[in-house]
Amino acid sequence: MSDTPVLEIQGLTGGYSLNRPVLHDVNFQVGTGEMIGLIGLNGAGKSTTMKHILGLMTPQKGDIRVKGKKREEDSETYHSALAFVPESPLLYEEMTVREHLEFTARAYGVSKEDFEERSGKLSALFRMEDKMDSLSIHLSKGMKQKVMIMCAFVARPSLYIIDEPFLGLDPLGIRSLLDFMVELKAGGASILLSSHILSTIENYCDRFIVMHQGIIIAHGTLQQIAEQAGKPGAPLEELFYTLVQGRI
Amino acid sequence: MDLKSLRIQRRRQFWGEIVPYLGYVMQSGVAVLLLFMFIAFSAWYTSLVQHIPEGLPIRWIMLVLLLPLIVRSSVRTYLRSPDIVFLLPQESKMKEYLSGSWVSGVLYKFIGLALVFLTAWPLYVRSDTAPKSFWTFLLLLCILKIISSYGGWKELSMVSLRAAKGYHLLRWAVMALALSAWLWEPVGKSLIYVLLVIATYLFALSYPVKHLVAWERLIAKEESQVGRVMLVLGWFVNVPEQQQRVYPRRIFSRAGNRIVWKPIAAYKYLLTKSFVRSDILGIMLRAGVLGFLLVWWTRGTMLGSGIYLFFLFLIGVQLSSLQRYHKESFWLSIYPIPANSRQRNVTSFVFQVHLIVAVILWLPLLRDGWVHISLTFSTLALGIVMSCIVRVILSRKGNKEDNDDE
Repeated sequence: MSDTPVLEIQGLTGGYSLNRPVLHDVNFQVGTGEMIGLIGLNGAGKSTTMKHILGLMTPQKGDIRVKGKKREEDSETYHSALAFVPESPLLYEEMTVREHLEFTARAYGVSKEDFEERSGKLSALFRMEDKMDSLSIHLSKGMKQKVMIMCAFVARPSLYIIDEPFLGLDPLGIRSLLDFMVELKAGGASILLSSHILSTIENYCDRFIVMHQGIIIAHGTLQQIAEQAGKPGAPLEELFYTLVQGRI
Repeated sequence: MDLKSLRIQRRRQFWGEIVPYLGYVMQSGVAVLLLFMFIAFSAWYTSLVQHIPEGLPIRWIMLVLLLPLIVRSSVRTYLRSPDIVFLLPQESKMKEYLSGSWVSGVLYKFIGLALVFLTAWPLYVRSDTAPKSFWTFLLLLCILKIISSYGGWKELSMVSLRAAKGYHLLRWAVMALALSAWLWEPVGKSLIYVLLVIATYLFALSYPVKHLVAWERLIAKEESQVGRVMLVLGWFVNVPEQQQRVYPRRIFSRAGNRIVWKPIAAYKYLLTKSFVRSDILGIMLRAGVLGFLLVWWTRGTMLGSGIYLFFLFLIGVQLSSLQRYHKESFWLSIYPIPANSRQRNVTSFVFQVHLIVAVILWLPLLRDGWVHISLTFSTLALGIVMSCIVRVILSRKGNKEDNDDE
């Protein structure tokens, strides 16, 4: 693991209005080859945190660094180091699945040979071979979500920001996604993953960040979270329930 | 829920959003341009009516002018996606909501058809050897328009998409046969033929299985119509980006694949794919074919050069609307695409396509060989200058918008 974290968030305060920030002094890091689970109730600030990382929102206070660089310093390098999978698929209706992957590969500067190899592998993994030349408008919601995931994976950046990726995916799709994330992680990629399916991510994430009302209320490995919740050995779902119960 | 009032309320809301833009459209100089075009057309048309060329194929001209206006039918329903959930329980009462849409659709389209008919009437009545009477002709157009709109509406409700496409073709054929019979045959004989064709068509329409309300198709149609209104407004003012209708056009599926494989040209790839499946290409092709034919017809005259430049200008305006494409695209703010490459890609793409159109539209002028050589080549030079002007305007506009965004 290298010394410089892939993602470093320091003292992040931000939101849609200056008077009412959603996030309050958020601090965390994602190291090389780490998979971090960002968990919290609806409105806890998970998506707002992700939007700040993606540069869609500007922090009111604090810094966000991807591979040691702030977005203001070098926007292109910053963005080329991360890929995003949104909660709801956002596709160009006029493009086919293959064209989405190709557009992503071109934008990220992936070579044509790597693109061919990766897109072939991803289409097989997500069982989308016969849909590669279909316009996205003709895909089901689950298939659209697969395209989003495939686009992120074809780029192969250092950091993946993945927001609720399991919504709409069939059980085989969820399994393929988890297996591929493990493979990427083993290859040195870092993943920040937000999900409500705690039982699924419990066994895959190295660390967890529990957010509540814009504040990090617990963070660390499953064991560390269990200690903070005072319930050693309990599953993540129960720990989460214990941590937020008294704060609702 | 009063469904009739709901539709009226939605229609008012839609026009409430559109009307403020119309003022800006007029201020953009379009009013002056329209007035100029109207005066130029009136002068040309008056002269044509006074000096009708020998053997003018007036029946063909009437057929080409009137048939698309009879067949083209669209209905504004103002339906939205949430209606699938919230209005579905009232599906049996939706006739109340949709009948108003259908009547307005037929009425406004018929007014357009009647205006074209009125304009063409002096030419028809003077050049046809056996012209039909004005009122019977107008009445026939009215009947054909109603039948065609009814058929178009039924096509929207058909369960099978393939059947809907088949019936769309059938409608074109039926209307073409009926109008041709009316134009070429004597009144009595043609009326019997028209009645038989229409009766058979109406009978055939009752066969396919139909939805009570084709929710998804009507909503998609409505979205595409709003997109078109915004597309036209977008030629003159900045309007919010709307989802345009997508046409698969497999014949163009390879377009853009050979664009240089670099992040700096990534947006050009996206733009090319969007362009070949957009309304803009369809409109451009139709204008191009019409322009090509008119330039061919008037080649070797100043009028021919004028028509060439007019159509090139029209296509330039169409292409310029590509500048608004993907302006608010989520992925363009996430992907590591070099700053300003979007603007540069749009400008170069529009310039390249416009230049190709400038050359293709000019080809009919070559038919006269060396007879009007100076006029032919100076027309091409003016066409190229026009493409360059469109490029400069687009580039300046883009730079200004980029600066405003910063």
